[in-house]
Amino acid sequence: MHQTTVLAGFLVAAAAVLIVMAAIARTTTQPEEPQSIVTATGYRLRRGWLWVLAAAAAAAFALSLPEFPYGKPATLTGQHYSVIATQYSFELPSVVPADTPIVFDVTSKDVNHGFGIYDPQDRLIAQVQAMPQYINHLPLRLYAKGHYVVRCLEYCGIAHAAMLGSFDVR
Amino acid sequence: MSDSTGARAVMWAYLTTGVAIFGLMALIGLALRVEQAQWVAYDPGTFYALMTLHGSGMVVALALSAMGGLWFIMNRERGMDRTIAWSAYAAIVVGVLCVILSIFPGRFAAAWTFLYPLPFTGATWPSWATGAFLFGVALVMLGWTVYCVQLLGCVLAKYGGLRGAVGWDLVFHPGRASTSSAPEPPPQAFAALVTAVDGLFAATGGMLVGVALIVHWIDPSVAIDPLWAKNLTYQFGHTFANLTIYMAIAFVYVALPRYANRKWHTSPVLAIAWWGTLLFVATAYFHHLYMDFVQPRGFQYLGQVASYLAAFPPAVVTIFGGALLIYRSKMRWTMGSMFLYAGLVGWLIGGIGALIDATVPINFSLHNTLWVPAHFHTYLLEGVTLFVLGWIFANLEARSGLVSSLLTRWIVGLGIFGGGALLLLGWYVAGAESVPRRYAVQPVPGPAIAAWASIGAMLLIAGLVFCLAEAVRLARAPKALTAS
Repeated sequence: MHQTTVLAGFLVAAAAVLIVMAAIARTTTQPEEPQSIVTATGYRLRRGWLWVLAAAAAAAFALSLPEFPYGKPATLTGQHYSVIATQYSFELPSVVPADTPIVFDVTSKDVNHGFGIYDPQDRLIAQVQAMPQYINHLPLRLYAKGHYVVRCLEYCGIAHAAMLGSFDVR
Repeated sequence: MSDSTGARAVMWAYLTTGVAIFGLMALIGLALRVEQAQWVAYDPGTFYALMTLHGSGMVVALALSAMGGLWFIMNRERGMDRTIAWSAYAAIVVGVLCVILSIFPGRFAAAWTFLYPLPFTGATWPSWATGAFLFGVALVMLGWTVYCVQLLGCVLAKYGGLRGAVGWDLVFHPGRASTSSAPEPPPQAFAALVTAVDGLFAATGGMLVGVALIVHWIDPSVAIDPLWAKNLTYQFGHTFANLTIYMAIAFVYVALPRYANRKWHTSPVLAIAWWGTLLFVATAYFHHLYMDFVQPRGFQYLGQVASYLAAFPPAVVTIFGGALLIYRSKMRWTMGSMFLYAGLVGWLIGGIGALIDATVPINFSLHNTLWVPAHFHTYLLEGVTLFVLGWIFANLEARSGLVSSLLTRWIVGLGIFGGGALLLLGWYVAGAESVPRRYAVQPVPGPAIAAWASIGAMLLIAGLVFCLAEAVRLARAPKALTAS
């Protein structure tokens, strides 16, 4: 999901929370109502609220499942490209094909790093951790041609922010 | 010293130490943000050493504050040995001093996460600094363990063992519960039980990885599996940090009803909600390892399910219950009640940000961007911190019989809520713009966003300073005749 959409959704939800909670606080200026009456109505509302949340969580989980980035064995059969991270650089291919299933095999020679891929618009589109002693397979299909920047996305030492790489998609 | 005075001394020692560390860490946080805004320049080694101190120090500051208050609340339920509480306090304070020593002058800079093998590989700091940091963390865990054991003992002894403390009969045998000789646990007792049990679980993981790293520090030929170490680091780190909220919620359970002149009852639903918290707080940490594709796949699903389910008890029971408590009540709005209620709002909003990030496909493009500090600062800064401030003011207001003026509340509110919102928005927007976290030098638009976030941080700190001055005024006022 595009990050801007995520931010917009969050801000709308946060604004809704603020409005509802402020409205509830304002009711304290109205004449007092016995707690037993408030509770009886509130508990009925709570049951509805529980079901709304449960439905939202179940829907979010179901919708997210097909989008999990891990890949099945079948999706790991594309062309494999080795990525080796080390303090503070990446060994990676200079060119990968556009609109073709590929797999980055990512590891580290020293400490934990992050392999974060930024598209030509400088937006983070994919990532995986680079961990010593392990190889993480990142299946991907890059549609847009152009120059992609790679940034380290796991704190790896004092030159972490300068740990960059790049490749072209043609 | 009377029991009550002695217990208050324990609480205020924890609280004031926590607040003092919090203040220092807030200033360090500001120093980090203004460096990212490029208003000041210093070397990356200093930046990451300060970042390490800020991350580890802030969690301990909030934990200490919440621990003191919760200990005092539970001590009123059943008296606890103050020597044990002081021992736990001493271990934590010495641990904090070790961590500070590792940073000044050690310049240890492996972040609070100290992911193996970073503390040892390519280190720009001396080996002793690594040792000091690891011993410091181990001492904090030791103090935390002592605290949790004492808290668990208190809850089990008071409410008739584990069965009574978890409210088993309340849920399944209501008739038997009402005739039991053990009293029914009040809401804050559930917070104490979950803190103690999940706290010991976290401490076990922390001790395991901590000792393993100390052994490696002594003998580098002892190898450690990086994935194992990473799992344990987050199992302890996430759970420990998360529990600060669940400790501090006890302040809301106890103090908010006094302001609303209503009661917060224990119910079967509340008990079940806390069972959920017990389970899901302990298992949600897997979301920190979503981007480790070698992690067993089941853990990735569990991470998302547990993270989602962890939101239900607060959203459906505690925060909803807080809103219901004050709805059409004869609420007394003071500094204390304002903070306690606003903390519920901050917890909820931060929780939404966390849930978004806990969804694997979204995490794929948000993990380790500034979205992460955005959501955890929301519920730590505008949640836990406000609960702690609310508890402090609730005590000071009760003792002095005084309340702060409306103008004072507005000034503090503008600083803490207005400045806080600006600071937090900076992280959310930068996260959505893919700006990575933990960068001393950020790619654009990071520095521009950091600039207005820094203004927010300054307003927030100004609000906190004003708040502190008001707290001192109330503390120095003579004790009210009606005060307990």
